Amino acid sequence: MSNTADSLAAPKKRRPTNVFKSENPHKPEKPKRSKRSDRRKNTENGIKALNPNWGYAFVAPFFVMFLIFGLAPVIYSIWIAFYNWDPLGDEQQFYGLTNFTDLIVDENFWIALRNTFSIWFFSTIPQMIMAIGLASILRNPRLKGATFWRTILLVPNITSVLAIAIVFGQLFGRDFGLVNLALTYLGMPSHIDWISEPLPSHIAIATMITWRWLGYNALIFLASMLAIPSYLYESADLDGASKWQQFRYITLPQLRNTITFVLIVGTIGGLQVFAEPLTLGGNMSGGDSRQFSTLTLFLYEQAFVNNRWGYAAAIGIFITIIVMIISAINFAITRRISSEDNKN
Amino acid sequence: MNRKTSLRSAMALLVVASLTLVGIQPAQAAKTQVTIWSYGNVIEPWGEQEYERLHPTIDLKIKKNSMDANHQSLITAFKANTTPDIAAIEVSYSGFFRSYPKYFTNLAGLLNENDYLDWRWDQGVGIDGKVIGIPTDVGGLQVAYRKDLFKAHGLPTDREAVGKLWPTWQAFINTGKTYVSKLSTAEKASCKTKKVCYGFIDNAGTMYPAILNQGAKKYYESNGTLIYNSNANVKTAFTTTATAMNSGISTRINQFTSDWNAGMMKGVFATVLAPAWMLDYIKQQAKSTSGKWDVADLPGGGGNLGGSQLSVPAAAKHPAEAKAFIKWYLSPAIQLQIFKRYGLFPSASSLYNDPALTGYKDKFFSNAPIGQIYVTGARQLRPIFEGKNQRAIDNYFGQALAKVAVGKMTASAAWSDAITQISKNIKN
Repeated sequence: MSNTADSLAAPKKRRPTNVFKSENPHKPEKPKRSKRSDRRKNTENGIKALNPNWGYAFVAPFFVMFLIFGLAPVIYSIWIAFYNWDPLGDEQQFYGLTNFTDLIVDENFWIALRNTFSIWFFSTIPQMIMAIGLASILRNPRLKGATFWRTILLVPNITSVLAIAIVFGQLFGRDFGLVNLALTYLGMPSHIDWISEPLPSHIAIATMITWRWLGYNALIFLASMLAIPSYLYESADLDGASKWQQFRYITLPQLRNTITFVLIVGTIGGLQVFAEPLTLGGNMSGGDSRQFSTLTLFLYEQAFVNNRWGYAAAIGIFITIIVMIISAINFAITRRISSEDNKN
Repeated sequence: MNRKTSLRSAMALLVVASLTLVGIQPAQAAKTQVTIWSYGNVIEPWGEQEYERLHPTIDLKIKKNSMDANHQSLITAFKANTTPDIAAIEVSYSGFFRSYPKYFTNLAGLLNENDYLDWRWDQGVGIDGKVIGIPTDVGGLQVAYRKDLFKAHGLPTDREAVGKLWPTWQAFINTGKTYVSKLSTAEKASCKTKKVCYGFIDNAGTMYPAILNQGAKKYYESNGTLIYNSNANVKTAFTTTATAMNSGISTRINQFTSDWNAGMMKGVFATVLAPAWMLDYIKQQAKSTSGKWDVADLPGGGGNLGGSQLSVPAAAKHPAEAKAFIKWYLSPAIQLQIFKRYGLFPSASSLYNDPALTGYKDKFFSNAPIGQIYVTGARQLRPIFEGKNQRAIDNYFGQALAKVAVGKMTASAAWSDAITQISKNIKN
């Protein structure tokens, strides 16, 4: 009985907000709104008869999976971070906070952190600019074979990372690589050692990542560009705004949320860069002098080359903390953007 | 319209093809599937096909991985009891796995211990005396060199005379200096502008493991005590390699990269320190240089690099079938077949007097008596104890040497850098 009462109460609670919204005199699309809220009410009435406890059953599979494959390993890795954990050994030595204090003074960790952010920068920022550019081209209604171009953009994304790394490894060869060959033709006096030097190697890896994700992000930008109401451009045309002005003052501001989204997803991916540097260097150290060792590669090296699972777990916890800090910054930025939207 | 139809039919074909592939699999289930985790060329295709032909009820499922990844996935497989039936283990990891014999099936008595090189056999024996792996091949290490380039740079070409050029590693470096001094001005200038670096040896870094393996001990005492910072052999290998790196004889091209393959063909370097298993790779990659190569003795006596063993994990699902395959594949007779076909040098020392091995020659390497050369080299080797974290320690010394190679550090600074890194990172 109480269940039925709950479900009856639910739509009641929401009703006032709906009423308030539809009565808001400042909203221009007033009639549309009320229609939509009617529809919503109907759906709610449709579900009303169902016992809401069923909801838990529907979401349970995810939470069971999450507990087994998500939370349990997290707790386990926090646990082993306090040990000198030998993966195949029988007795583990309790270490206390040693792994964490060792990590803070480990120069290799800071090198990995620096490399990760450097690769992230070179892969995310130019990629975003190029993706917006590509999306603007694809948006052009006069473009022939638009579907073909949009489809082909996704091809790099479904290519295996390993295959990409092998091909790019050859392109970026020092002596006989195509990139150096092309640069020489363009008049560059000496070959760049793409693999052995830190900055060039970061750019090489960033190129790999960019090549793979550019099309995907371009499509996301394209989707949100197509959602921009065309009357904005029409009125801008009437006011005599140039194409660039339209891009700068209509397209870009309207893309703000998408840019934030792409940036967040890019940052999450950027902190996990692993396969590209691994395959490019052919070892777990990220190149002969750690020039492109990333955080996840460093974690892997400690776990599987040095057999220090406890230390690797400590690195994992540090990565989590870094992700949390970055997420907090992202959250703050997003909130500021949305509050600016409200001001407008 | 037409394009759409052809696209659609292509898609349909793909779907049908994938369905058929899925459909075929259960039909083979009647056979016993023996899973093998391997890397590189440990299990050669001929061995696989021949065994399946002889044993129609056995289906060998070989999963090839890169060398390091193969061993890393083994560690997790041991923890999760999801091991293959047969695991290939490389010598640089044998020290690690023999520290945990409880994860392996005892292979004692499967094959006759006396048929194999004793020090190679010992690399597959666990710390508690259990036989956890049987040796496949011996790396062996000699110098593969380009006769035409030696001639062009004023060096002898006859393999006896070439071997006499470098009784020691220092003599090898000096020979390299002579070679490099005779490079044309264009070739010398090429490296200054970092275009193509011509040199004597592909990568001087490969000298480090070669010199190290000639000693009696490496990083560990046979009771497991770490001696990497006090063992004179390690220091000698390190400083000699650093000297070579600073002498300008190395092209600094990393092995097994596209630059290496191209350099081999174009004569960018004249020598490669080549284990027996690498000769086949050179042959495949630089086909057009056939007849221009020869093989000479390694400086400082015999050498070894690489080599593997086959093990049966304790959690294997088909241990009997796995043992049967190992017994066949690693028997001296089959090792000889593999050597003839692929050049993997046998670990079965009972073959070392067999004329089929000692008389083996290869046109690609100017008919050098490859069999005889590698037999002599393998016989000169002394047993060397492979310790638990040897691979990781190797990495840190390698990284320090790489800093010397690019001129970032002096040899002594790099040495202390490596020692600090190892003491910080090797904990269990």
